[in-house]
Amino acid sequence: MTSDNDRRGGLLARLRGRPAARSRGRRRLGAAVRLIAALTLAGGAYTVFAPGVQAQENPPLTGAAAEGKALFDVSCVTCHGRNAQGVEGRGPSLVGVGSASVEFQVGSGRMPMARQEAQAMRKPPVFTDEQVRQLGQYIQELGGGPQVPAGNDLHRNADMAAGGELFRINCSQCHAFGGGGGALSSGKYAPSLKPASDRQIYAAMLSGPQNMPVFGDNQITPEQKADIIAYIQETLKHDQDQGGFNLGRYGPSTEGLAIFLIGIVALVFASLWIAGKS
Amino acid sequence: MSIHTEHQTPQGREPLDVNDPRASRFDIVQEGARRDDIEIVHYEEQVVPGSKAERRLTRTVALMFLLTGLAATAFLVIYIWWPWKWEAGRGGDKLYTPLLGLTLGVALLGIGFGILTWGKKLLPKEVSIQDRHDQPGPAEDRKITGETMLYLADELGVKRRPLLGVSLVAGLLPVGAVAAAPLVGGLISNPHKNNQMFTTGFAPAEGGKKIRLVREDGRPIRPADVSAGGQLTVFPGIEHGVSNKHADSPTLLIHLREDDAQKSREANSRAGHGDYMWGNYAAFSKICTHAGCPASLYEQQTNRLLCPCHQSQFLITDNARPIFGPASRRLPQLPIEVDEEGFFVAKSDYTETIGPDFWERP
Amino acid sequence: MKRRKFDAAALPAKTAGAVDDRFQVATPLRKLLNKVFPDHWSFLLGEIALFSFVVLLMTGVFLTFFYEPAMTEVVYNGSYAPLRGTPMSAAYASSLDLSFDVRGGLIMRQMHHWAALLFMAAIVVHMMRVFFTGAFRKPRETNWIIGSLLFWVGFLAGFTGYSLPDDGLSGTGLRIASGIMLSIPVIGSWLTSSIFGGEFPGEIIISRFFIAHVLLIPGLLVALISAHLGLVFKQKHTQWPGPGRTNENVVGERMFPRYALKQGGFFMVVFGVIALMGGLFQINPIWYFGPYEAWVVSAASQPDWYVMFLDGSTRLMPAWQINIPIGDGYVIPPLFWPTVVLPGILVGLSTMYPFLEARQLKDYKHHNLLQRPRDVPARTAVGAMAVAFYIVLTLSGGNDVIADKFHISLNAMTWAGRIGLLVVPPLAYYVAYRLCLGLQQHDREVLAHGVETGIIKRLPDGRFVEVHQPLAAADHDGHGELDYVGWVVPKKMNRLGALGPAIRGFFYPIERPAEAPVSPGHPPVEPRPEREEITSGERR
Repeated sequence: MTSDNDRRGGLLARLRGRPAARSRGRRRLGAAVRLIAALTLAGGAYTVFAPGVQAQENPPLTGAAAEGKALFDVSCVTCHGRNAQGVEGRGPSLVGVGSASVEFQVGSGRMPMARQEAQAMRKPPVFTDEQVRQLGQYIQELGGGPQVPAGNDLHRNADMAAGGELFRINCSQCHAFGGGGGALSSGKYAPSLKPASDRQIYAAMLSGPQNMPVFGDNQITPEQKADIIAYIQETLKHDQDQGGFNLGRYGPSTEGLAIFLIGIVALVFASLWIAGKS
Repeated sequence: MSIHTEHQTPQGREPLDVNDPRASRFDIVQEGARRDDIEIVHYEEQVVPGSKAERRLTRTVALMFLLTGLAATAFLVIYIWWPWKWEAGRGGDKLYTPLLGLTLGVALLGIGFGILTWGKKLLPKEVSIQDRHDQPGPAEDRKITGETMLYLADELGVKRRPLLGVSLVAGLLPVGAVAAAPLVGGLISNPHKNNQMFTTGFAPAEGGKKIRLVREDGRPIRPADVSAGGQLTVFPGIEHGVSNKHADSPTLLIHLREDDAQKSREANSRAGHGDYMWGNYAAFSKICTHAGCPASLYEQQTNRLLCPCHQSQFLITDNARPIFGPASRRLPQLPIEVDEEGFFVAKSDYTETIGPDFWERP
Repeated sequence: MKRRKFDAAALPAKTAGAVDDRFQVATPLRKLLNKVFPDHWSFLLGEIALFSFVVLLMTGVFLTFFYEPAMTEVVYNGSYAPLRGTPMSAAYASSLDLSFDVRGGLIMRQMHHWAALLFMAAIVVHMMRVFFTGAFRKPRETNWIIGSLLFWVGFLAGFTGYSLPDDGLSGTGLRIASGIMLSIPVIGSWLTSSIFGGEFPGEIIISRFFIAHVLLIPGLLVALISAHLGLVFKQKHTQWPGPGRTNENVVGERMFPRYALKQGGFFMVVFGVIALMGGLFQINPIWYFGPYEAWVVSAASQPDWYVMFLDGSTRLMPAWQINIPIGDGYVIPPLFWPTVVLPGILVGLSTMYPFLEARQLKDYKHHNLLQRPRDVPARTAVGAMAVAFYIVLTLSGGNDVIADKFHISLNAMTWAGRIGLLVVPPLAYYVAYRLCLGLQQHDREVLAHGVETGIIKRLPDGRFVEVHQPLAAADHDGHGELDYVGWVVPKKMNRLGALGPAIRGFFYPIERPAEAPVSPGHPPVEPRPEREEITSGERR
């Protein structure tokens, strides 16, 4: 087990080295990348409509997807298997999960996992955004699946109030009213929404990572998703704590702690002083 | 004022004529204390008048009071001129309330500690001893009081005239009931009116029309609206269905994955609910059978449903059997099907009681 | 008629004379002003509760000017944009207006809530002081019962107030409360239906809670607090044993001039702390919770801290349902035991404790002197057990937050609570008991052998011994003859004045002014002659 980890660690270290060496070239070829992105979109659309494409041994891959496959074959293949077919007892098949899932899992650092646990934790991401996109493209072309729309700001002109209503019906039971997350059964938990970007929230809703239910576009429309994201980003995260320090927004638990640790302690010190011999 | 230390007992001290022109104010105070069985055994100035210490303490106390004035003025200025309204886009001003609290708190603490320092440091220290006198009253008084009360009973002569006692009780009891009647009668409300505890909004309407499952905005639901591994909170498609008027009706529509759905179907047929699911869709009451919170933390991989209030956990694939925590009863399942227009409807109302358990539930 | 010149200097005396002519207050007032109060920091804990109650009344009156206790559905159109257009009850809308559209309304709301938490916290801390020092013994059993009732009435006040904003969190609490009432055998459904005016939530509960919260419960609280204070005045405060203090006297300060000043100052300090907390720490941000809707809930749904122990007991309760197979069958749900039976037992035990202890010890004497907790190991241990029980339940009430933030399995937390509830209290009993005995032993040791001086002496035969400073003239085998009198035994040399006078000042040392006399608070090394006269009053 340890040797396995070591080997993976070594690979990751190598991977981290690579993008730095290539970044200059990529910058110069900015236009080319945009072209590739357009191509990958087209490719993605193609894979969705091409039946049985995952069954083929060597599907034709676009440039970005080929890069993604290269990354996949070094970093993910151990658990998710050749061509992302999954390995029994180690990792599920990724065929058909779509780039949304990759974007969420890899983009938030949850994948690659350090070890098998009840739940993957958010960590500093191992891959750059570009690499995540390439990986996503690869998975997308393998078996299709949900995709996050383009752009980093997915909640422009959205309706915060409608988003709040939807948030309370669909999200707050696990992620809590304040978005701070909460416990699930047997060591699992719903993570805090604080570090999540627009794209990650969108991807999570689309793909239903781990134990989160799937909220597909048929159930919550893209407009409604934008509303929810607007509510999370603008209301919950933009620090709307009107009443002072929010005590972590853990609700009455920390409020109770505060009254003893601050209120009672301060007043006991005051009474010690008042009644003390002068 | 000089230092007074007295060691006589209160009884030992001579009474003082308070009208004696030679008596100082302290002498009169001490005489008052003597009359209340208090002996001031130790009374001493803490600071010598005119000393450096006194001047320093005076300055400290004055500073605290001035701080109070300053903070209170700041409070008023902030209260009146600081922008405080919540505005779209900008939000509210996050500093308004904290600044108010800070200035008000400092102002109050300034008075508080000013007074305390004044009293604690500048006033003389004293030790006084007061007798408690908490012995019971003299035995004679006890006897007199007791006899006086019994005397009333004698004079009333209830023993000799028993009819008076009986009739008084017979008259007073109904009067007591009259006092309680409006309260009880006004408040009491039959819980079983319209069989309300055993029905929900999904009960078929008149004429047997089946009730649609709708979303929070009233739209009916097609099977394609919920992805596999997804859940949707649904309501009865009736008037006020999506409101607290039907607080027992919110339902969780779950689209199970194929193999989970298979397990669920088997569990259902074991329980005699063979036809409650439609395809891979199952609908369970969202109201926890333990204390009534919405048990809606659906874990799509383990198929557990967690209630966030008391952590009861239900296994959806085993007909929502409680597998952990204080809940003792399964979540009721709503029999569903799809009508001719392709929307989900409830085949019938829930066949079990919704919500927290109660005595006559079975 | 001759016009008299107005004499301002004589005005107070004249007014006072006129008042006394009519009300004859001079004598009772003299008694009041002269009343002697013992001075110890732990006697001020109850005052914190009293002063928070005053703040509660003041801020509460402000809130009623703006709050609308109605469940009528309105569409919110106030300043807070993320809820604009949302249908909600008038109660919730007016609570939002209080927070966003009433100038300074938010700080008043937050001060009210913090004061409520402080009120309950101070009651509990004060109750612990009274318990552990034995202040509840005869003749003060009645006041102990009133105090316990104050906790439970305060609990009701808190819960009804918490429910008034009708937000998502408090509505969930109300839902649970209805479930608890439903669980009562036989009458449950009738009781719930009568209180809620039909099926939960009905349309009347907020109005009913409002009148309970602003009239009935405060009225009861005021009555109980008055009785509580009246009895303290009548029976006079207990005091610690010490030089000159007996069971028959009170040693301390008269109400005037100093004690009243200190009380006034302390009120301002309590008020100031509440204002600081109300402004600096956000409490109950109802605008995140949204209006109460029966299908909306949040992770980490908790009640305020003083209700959390009941939430904890509910979470720990195993799913034991009792079916009664008569007729159609009846059921006692598991919710009934931890939420109805347990508080019932707690009320009974806590109010009856003084009588239970007196019966156990066959002690029916008057007690005006307090006991140090170490001197009554059995009581202290029972108290530690109760506190441990309460803490395990309270922690379990927040076990999902603990599980989430410390990455512990939620199920493991529940099991830890279940086992902890059975194991920790007896353990606390044992540990507290042994601690008391150990402390007692050390007191006796110091009395017998003296204070450790830190001076090591080498004897001619090569042994090293530490020199002890006896507290009294030693008899022939080097042992003192001091008895323990129930008060602090000096255990350090500077308590005996050996290293010069103890340093004065709380935060920094204050140099003693040369001309001021030396306070007798620090006994000299030589035993004082009057030490022999000290009695605890218990041994008369």
